[in-house]
Amino acid sequence: MDEFQEILQDFLVESFELIEQLDQDLVELENTPEDLELLNRIFRVAHTVKGASSFLNFDILTRLTHHMEDVLNRARKGELVLTPDIMDVVLKSIDMMKAMLHFIRDNGTDEGSEDIEDVVVKLDAITSGGGSPSAASSEAPPEPEIQEASVEEEEVDYSDMSEGEIENEIERLLQMRQDEDKARRVAKIEAGEAVPDAPQIIDEVVKEEAPAPKEEPEVEVAPTPSPTPSPVVEKKPEPSVKKEVAKAPAKSAASVEQTIRVDVRRLDHLMNLIGELVLGKNRLIKINDDVEERYEGEEFLEELNQVVSIVSLVTTDLQIAVMKTRMLPIGKVFNKFPRMIRDLSRELGKKIELEIGGEETELDKSIVEEIGDPLVHIIRNSCDHGVEPIADRIAKGKSETGTIGLKAYNEGNHIVIEITDDGKGLDASALKDIAVSKNVISEKEADNMGDKEAYTLIFRPGFSTAKTVTNVSGRGVGMDVVKTNIEKLNGIIDIDSEVDGYTKIKLKIPLTLAIIQALLVGVQEEYYAIPLASVLETVRISTNEVYTVENRSVMRLRDEVLPLVHLADIFEVDRVFDGAEHTYVVVLGLAESKIGVIVDTLVGQEEIVIKSMGEYLKGMDGVAGATIRGDGGVTLIVDVAALMQMAKSLKAKPAIAQAASVAKVREKPSDYYVMIVDDSKTDRSIMRNALKPLGVTLVEAADGLEALNILKSGEHQFDAMLVDIEMPRMDGYSLAGEIKKYNKYKNLPLIAVTSRTTKADRMRGVEVGMVEYITKPYSPEYLMNVVKRNINLTMEA
Amino acid sequence: MSDKMKNIIDNQKKQQDEPDITNLDDVMQLVGFVVGDEEYTVPILTIQEIIKPIEYTRVPQTPDYVLGVFNLRGSVIPLIDLRMKFGLPSAKQTDEARYIVMKSGDEVAGFVIDRLTEAIRLKKSDIDPAPETASGEKSIIEGVGKQADRILTILKVDTLLERDF
Repeated sequence: MDEFQEILQDFLVESFELIEQLDQDLVELENTPEDLELLNRIFRVAHTVKGASSFLNFDILTRLTHHMEDVLNRARKGELVLTPDIMDVVLKSIDMMKAMLHFIRDNGTDEGSEDIEDVVVKLDAITSGGGSPSAASSEAPPEPEIQEASVEEEEVDYSDMSEGEIENEIERLLQMRQDEDKARRVAKIEAGEAVPDAPQIIDEVVKEEAPAPKEEPEVEVAPTPSPTPSPVVEKKPEPSVKKEVAKAPAKSAASVEQTIRVDVRRLDHLMNLIGELVLGKNRLIKINDDVEERYEGEEFLEELNQVVSIVSLVTTDLQIAVMKTRMLPIGKVFNKFPRMIRDLSRELGKKIELEIGGEETELDKSIVEEIGDPLVHIIRNSCDHGVEPIADRIAKGKSETGTIGLKAYNEGNHIVIEITDDGKGLDASALKDIAVSKNVISEKEADNMGDKEAYTLIFRPGFSTAKTVTNVSGRGVGMDVVKTNIEKLNGIIDIDSEVDGYTKIKLKIPLTLAIIQALLVGVQEEYYAIPLASVLETVRISTNEVYTVENRSVMRLRDEVLPLVHLADIFEVDRVFDGAEHTYVVVLGLAESKIGVIVDTLVGQEEIVIKSMGEYLKGMDGVAGATIRGDGGVTLIVDVAALMQMAKSLKAKPAIAQAASVAKVREKPSDYYVMIVDDSKTDRSIMRNALKPLGVTLVEAADGLEALNILKSGEHQFDAMLVDIEMPRMDGYSLAGEIKKYNKYKNLPLIAVTSRTTKADRMRGVEVGMVEYITKPYSPEYLMNVVKRNINLTMEA
Repeated sequence: MSDKMKNIIDNQKKQQDEPDITNLDDVMQLVGFVVGDEEYTVPILTIQEIIKPIEYTRVPQTPDYVLGVFNLRGSVIPLIDLRMKFGLPSAKQTDEARYIVMKSGDEVAGFVIDRLTEAIRLKKSDIDPAPETASGEKSIIEGVGKQADRILTILKVDTLLERDF
């Protein structure tokens, strides 16, 4: 099973790699149909896939590739000229092949994946229509046939064979395959040698067939992709050389570049180890700071400092180096777009030119995999909605050919991908009208929207400016996909546009996902890490700058209205401490939206390593993972996308609210709780005896700290506290100060019971929030009455 | 053909693995611990380690019995309070409280227990399946071990480690 999976994996990896180059080659081929090297390369892909798939028993795929191979074989032998029409069929069959490979990857079989009959018939028609089978076909065709025959033959036998025999068979098949590979390699070399003679033949054929295309009306469209070759050709050398070397080291010694293929899992593991190292470094730095403080001026500190800085420097370098091994040029993704633009422009009857830049920009493999889909949707959108039909363009005085630009570049810790088109642009007010008519936003919202905000409407699900749904777009799904995927990458989307001028979509994506910069914030006694990639800015505001609009907290940030949410509400943190006069707002931006998050403290910026919390706690709302801090504690990482989602559904609660204390039902005097805080046991007994007639429940604490802990534990809700002033560990004043920090104890009556009688003492008592001041000695009745008054006890025991 | 290949490969695997199975002892080793008033046991092989309580971080939006996560030499591991999980009232942790880190496959979690008792060796023949009333898919009882003077509840670690919220 595993072994079979492994073979299958290898097959898929190889096939996908081959196909990637294929699209590029095919589009190019259309412009230079006589390029034999190119044709050979394409033929080889079809052939390889066919060989492997027949070995793995994918019949449908084998059949399709077999027919493709026939057509390509004729083309490479010069018996066929690839007209745009033939090209369409070939491209279609390649698309099918791709679809099938995807299907196989997902399902492990090709049965029921695609209906290939149609294409096969078309391919056959091309094969048989293009000319009579030539005698020259001695070289290639027999080879696949033998292979196929043998495979089929074996298959019949299998059911009757014993397992030992089957194993022998497998041995034999493998051997055969190796031989075949060898033979192919030889054939390749022969083909290379044959090149000198070939061009002449092809030249002739081309001359002969040249008039033929006239009957095709679409011919004029064919040149559209012609502007592409320049980027295409530029791009070629690097990636292709690398790939060839990796795949077929035997091919040529001249272009050997020192590369090896490494399992991604190994790189992931390496990255994990580096992550540990980064955490260790963070810890070392913290310890160094502590040591510095304690042993200030000692000589060995200098040395320690040096070591710590070297370690941290090397760690950073190492991290970058490992990150680089995971980097791939974004050209890998860009490669498929010339083909897409060609197809789309043909389909839409527009003339569109694609300009690619910065394809050598590198980013993490995991991001490269995610970025493809959003780009496809954006470009489709640009082709369909952006670039106008030829007639419109001429009417507007623009050039017939629309241009779509695709550019990537680095900007700090981010990579920026820019997609521009010189089409009709976005009309903010028109967008708002459509959004209102489709009930995506209310009119009031529309009025408050700036142009930039209006542009972001195109990312709302179900929103489309297209009047008709076409094959290409208009269903209102694509841009939603863009948003979701970019959010997943913690990226930011920025749109800029001018009516009849241009539309520019900027995707800003963090370079790597494993080790990130984070802003640490504090809420009450908890800390959270927010990915710095999503933090636009932090502001300090006073609490009266927070407004409530339609039950939502908002603030004015320059000329924008920013929705606010308290991190404590998102993460269900009890708001025990009172909100201070000032508070901090972290402005977060993700994809196209923005939100302000209120936090109590800003701790600082730190490099963190994202760690999974395991299956058990995977996918908790609002938490992207956890990280280990310098002090060894665990800090949760905020999932900004989820946070924004949660903020929307959060109950409309004023951001800075008074914690409503739950009213306790008090039916009898013993439901009232009074705490006695005194370090003297005798004093406590006196108080206890004095209060006995009231019948209230009494809890004792021997000092301030103990009292605070009892209070914090929340076991009982106290109605009053009798506090001695002079106590060990924490005195009465400090205790009162601590208690008053908590919002919910704001109204808890604190009664000082003390022998300190000076005016200054009394004043201090009032300052810290004591409501009564009883001086020792006192009569039991007096104490009882004070307590009774303060807890509003009306019933009798 | 692919099916055939799978068969062959599977068979080869089996042949390789089989010798080990026959060597296995028919004695089960268990570790006993107390939660609330009851003593429970888990197979010793499911225990990765036992540590003294350390600081943990609360994780929002989880049930009460999920206390949070803690750092075990660089790994972030969930911490589950067995008292609350079993529906017992929470009590103050004593000095005897421990975190038992259990694992099953890739799943690891720490469980807070009141105190450890002992390691127990039990013949496999002395272990009965969980009683009818307590068996089933979601049951956390793996079986019941019989000893001369008492009965031991063996917990099913797989179920304990399964997320049920």
